[in-house]
Amino acid sequence: MVIRRFHMELFVAGLTALAGAVTTFGSLELGVGWTESGPEPGYFPFYIGLLLAVLGLYNGAHAAIAKRGDAELFVEKRHAIRLARFGGPMAAFVVVTILLGLYVGTALYLFYVAWRQGGYRPLLSALIGVGFSLALFAVFELTFKVPLLKGPLEPLFGIY
Amino acid sequence: MGNFGLLLDGFQIALTPTHIAIMVIGVLLGLVVGVLPGLGAPNGVSLLIPLTFSMDPVSAIILLASMYWGALFGGSTTSILFNIPGEPSSVATTFDGYPMARGGQATRALTLAFMSAGTGALVGVIVITLLSSWAADFALRFGAPEYFAVYFLAFCAFIGMGSAWPGKTAVSLLLGLALSSVGMDTITGSLRLTFGLSELIGGISFLVVVIGLFGIGEILMTVQHGLKFRGVSSRVDLRDVFRTIAELPRYYLTLVRSCLVGAWMGITPGGPTAASFMSYGIARQWSRKGKVFGTGRPEGIVAPEAADHSAGTCAMLPMLALGVPSSATAAVMMGGLMIWGLTPGPMLFTTKPDFVWGLIASMYVANIVAVILVLATVPMFAALLRIPFAIIGPMIVAVCFVGAYTVSSATFDLWLVLAFGIVGYLFNKLDYPIAPLVLAMVLGHKAENAFHQSMILSDGSVLVFWSNPLVGTIMTLALALVILPQLVRLASRWKRDQAEPLGD
Repeated sequence: MVIRRFHMELFVAGLTALAGAVTTFGSLELGVGWTESGPEPGYFPFYIGLLLAVLGLYNGAHAAIAKRGDAELFVEKRHAIRLARFGGPMAAFVVVTILLGLYVGTALYLFYVAWRQGGYRPLLSALIGVGFSLALFAVFELTFKVPLLKGPLEPLFGIY
Repeated sequence: MGNFGLLLDGFQIALTPTHIAIMVIGVLLGLVVGVLPGLGAPNGVSLLIPLTFSMDPVSAIILLASMYWGALFGGSTTSILFNIPGEPSSVATTFDGYPMARGGQATRALTLAFMSAGTGALVGVIVITLLSSWAADFALRFGAPEYFAVYFLAFCAFIGMGSAWPGKTAVSLLLGLALSSVGMDTITGSLRLTFGLSELIGGISFLVVVIGLFGIGEILMTVQHGLKFRGVSSRVDLRDVFRTIAELPRYYLTLVRSCLVGAWMGITPGGPTAASFMSYGIARQWSRKGKVFGTGRPEGIVAPEAADHSAGTCAMLPMLALGVPSSATAAVMMGGLMIWGLTPGPMLFTTKPDFVWGLIASMYVANIVAVILVLATVPMFAALLRIPFAIIGPMIVAVCFVGAYTVSSATFDLWLVLAFGIVGYLFNKLDYPIAPLVLAMVLGHKAENAFHQSMILSDGSVLVFWSNPLVGTIMTLALALVILPQLVRLASRWKRDQAEPLGD
């Protein structure tokens, strides 16, 4: 199936309308009326959500009627491939980082992309990854005293 | 003359060796951020804010502001040398800057850009110096309804004056407001919209959202377009620099006009991007050689650059004096101020004159520092872009995620960055503007508080927003900004429909 810009216009308009609906219903639980001390906590978000839902639907309807972007491809195939090649490792980086910490995650991510996509030799790629990780350590942990996320591997090197 | 005395005090703060060193560091970091795709000024400032928590607020704001100036200059550099705008506001610079550089006059193009940018910034700071006390005094008369009206005006100006489709701008704004209401409510203390997720109790940090939307979103756009660096030689010849500076007075009319356009767009929520396009358009219309614009005309570089920097600088005025930022970067900086425990707005001028005037004085100094530094380091930063993307791309991504983690040391924020990165990409592709979302997130709480207080004052009647001439004027103006452009559009469409049968 080919995804046209038209489909994405509808999809994103629907998504924003959904966000509005969620906000509206979430606010309803908090109370959206008035008490003696003033508006209840849900008062402001309720109307924001309602307006967001209405405008989302309006944008969707407008795109549908005007057939906005019906002839326009959302992403060309070669662009989609490029995005996937970039986005895939990035998503994996987040998962690995949450499991193993930012330093190990960063080193592995840089190593993998430089090696598999940059065409560098594995040793050089590993040096790039580890070097950048060490640079992050020097800047954040040592200079600014801001601790970054660590996983199960750092304690093996005596870093907590 | 009160302002002048205060400004001199400010210079005493800004001209200390520490602060000058901070400016140099800030400008250099800004240049890196401005040159690299995917790292822009709002995002760069967001990444830096967590590192300033332990700094003195004056030093911290000087660092962030200098980074902003550096990013503006960096954006122009890549526009001219690589035809790749490092910042959205330097897109207009590519039109004439790149052709001139490709024609073998890279030094001339760069010098024209930097000198007019410096002039624009200088005009912007002078405007701030002259107007800020006055604006702050004016704002001292504001009560809750007036404050809400001003926030409302800022929101409406985005919808009415922005270049995007109004429905999309409004959605972006409302999404920001909705996101800002997640978490602990500061007034009633109740938890809102957390849907049982303990990670959301503290709310969603706008810094994380900015890093996702601007950082990851933008780099995804860059990846999709593919990077073709056909850069021209980035060697800077000092003789050419001076020759170009001598040439600059010839374009004084363009320069003055562009600075004024920039100042106006910077104070009102038009922002630097709109200012640079508008100024370029006007320059092309006014020029008798309008037809040859786009082939490397000097005016085509002077106009957008002067307006861009003038607007970028002037955006600090409403942020400081009213607490209403008019650009995404100013919004992020204002969020930083609030994190440091300062309240932007008129009271800042009476309670923290050192801070305000130290910052204003630093803008004079930092912009001069920036012009010199950028001329000296152009070849170095141009080399950054020649690093293969398979290396620099993941580094940018890693820095974004590291920056997001430092905001509150929460792994949940890493997922948020990824999610908002995808949102940013989709919004970019479908022409939803992102700046309103950021502005709304930063202003959300303040707008809601002002709204609550106004409602309590009036016992729930919205007529409080028309209860005196001042607030009534602001509210009416705000509504007019949204409604009038729509009416004009409808009218022109109606006219076209009427004319069509005759045209057959």
